[in-house]
Amino acid sequence: MVKPPAISARSVSFYYGEFQALRDINLEIAKDEITALIGPSGCGKSTFLKLLNRMNDFVPGARLSGEIIIGGVNVYGPQADPVEIRRKVGMVFQKPNPFPKSIYDNICYGPRLVGVKKKSALDEVVEKALKAAALWDDVKDKLNKSAFELSGGQQQRVCIARALALEPDILLMDEPTSALDPIATAKVEEWIKQSKLSIVIVTHNMQQAARISHGTAFFYMGELIEFAPTLTLFTSPKESRTENYITGRFG
Amino acid sequence: MLLGYSPKARKNREWLALLALKLVAYVALIILALMIFYIVFHGFKAINFDFLTKFPSDFMRKGGILPAILGTLYLAAGSMVVSLPLGFGAAIYLTDYAKPGPLVSIIRLGVANLAAVPSVVFGLFGLALFVVGFGFGRSLLSGCLTLGLLTLPTVTAAAEEALRQTPQSFREAALALGANRWQAIRQVVLPAALPGMLTGAILALGRAAGETAPIILTAAAAFSPALPDSLFNEVMSLPTHIFNMATNGAFIEQTRVRQFGTALVLMALVLGLSLVAIVIRAKLIRRRKW
Ligand SMILES: Nc1ncnc2c1ncn2[C@@H]1O[C@H](COP(=O)(O)OP(=O)(O)OP(=O)(O)O)[C@@H](O)[C@H]1O
Ligand SMILES: [Mg+2]
Repeated sequence: MVKPPAISARSVSFYYGEFQALRDINLEIAKDEITALIGPSGCGKSTFLKLLNRMNDFVPGARLSGEIIIGGVNVYGPQADPVEIRRKVGMVFQKPNPFPKSIYDNICYGPRLVGVKKKSALDEVVEKALKAAALWDDVKDKLNKSAFELSGGQQQRVCIARALALEPDILLMDEPTSALDPIATAKVEEWIKQSKLSIVIVTHNMQQAARISHGTAFFYMGELIEFAPTLTLFTSPKESRTENYITGRFG
Repeated sequence: MLLGYSPKARKNREWLALLALKLVAYVALIILALMIFYIVFHGFKAINFDFLTKFPSDFMRKGGILPAILGTLYLAAGSMVVSLPLGFGAAIYLTDYAKPGPLVSIIRLGVANLAAVPSVVFGLFGLALFVVGFGFGRSLLSGCLTLGLLTLPTVTAAAEEALRQTPQSFREAALALGANRWQAIRQVVLPAALPGMLTGAILALGRAAGETAPIILTAAAAFSPALPDSLFNEVMSLPTHIFNMATNGAFIEQTRVRQFGTALVLMALVLGLSLVAIVIRAKLIRRRKW
């Protein structure tokens, strides 16, 4: 039996004012798999990613057409609640962006928003999320220290844990390792590979896409050029533009 | 020597420039020190327990300045009650809610220009609007409202700057975790921006405590026999008390020492207020690492 997709984008076009950033994107993102978005700078990867949890709502003058279906519901439909969607669809950003609070309070931010108050419940959430992000052993003795006292890689894993604390179905990651050194990158990649979530990850690093993802989508100037299983896309791309990009002829 | 270039001459010029800069800095410091010394030297003779805790008597020649001290504290605190919510609110609106555009630019320009308006103009405005227009009379209330408006631009501009310096990524992170905009601001942005916002309040507080002209026009009593027990009472204040002793009455010379004593108290009060705020700010800043 084929699982229903985690996300389906149907004829999605997106505009920043007059500028069309995405053109008629149709894409089905598989459940419980890792999907990489690649493409040259400015091609619309981040724009597409932010559409999935409605983080583009805050951009003045932005406009969307088409549908994005998550869990059977159009997230831009009239009944959709953006706050609810952002809780189900977590996001990790390019630069680690922990809050200037303790590690503990960082992780608890989401659960507290939904009204979890009991200390014991929060403790449990924190431990679980930090373990899931493979950070528990590093920080279990300094949960009340500021998250800013951690290394960049640890900070990024705090951000992952913070997103995981809401137990999202889907995690969106926008170049999550581009600000990290190779060792920290390896740790984050390791985490991504063993997680059982549906993950959409934007990356500029082709090796990274090849290492960790099941499917890869190649964007170019606001269009989805090709979407295929990662191995297929990298070894026998159908489109010459894809081939040019992955062989480094432009981008 | 190439094209008249001489490393030695350049070194000398550099040294001279540095010396000039140092001198300017020291001159400023020396003037400040001299002023403080002058006021302390002339004023400390007036300072004693009675001076700080009694009412003035015998045409200001005897007694103390308690009502002026308290009046100044009331006025400064009251002006903050007016300007902090308005200023912080305006700053949050401008940075986080308003769509960038001509309207926002005009508001910002207006705020900047408001800061340059002489305080006596605020005084006249307060006189017309609060004292006469709203019928609050010359009172603590009118004074606080006037000083509140006077300090509003400083408070707003500093708060805006602090909010603007708070990374956009904090807001994004909170929103992505399911916060609404106000939650993101209140729980993440405001705590991060608060030290900077308080700096504006520090400056404003010092200014409010030292202002003279607006208070003369809207709130000041030359002498009041009792402490204010309502917002509609006139109040004495330190700067106006100095002004009155130094310009009115038959005993300008005899009260000279008390004038300096009052100035000393005012100075100590303003520096003290700043100190308290600076300590709070330092505490908050130590938590900040971005
Ligand atoms: N807030 C915005 N307002 C206007 N235009 C924008 C905005 N954000 C992005 N764009 C434009 O939309 C296009 C796509 O941007 P996007 O950030 O999605 O690219 P990207 O593929 O993520 O690039 P990068 O790899 O550099 O992160 C770019 O041309 C960009 O200039
Ligand atoms: Mg991007």
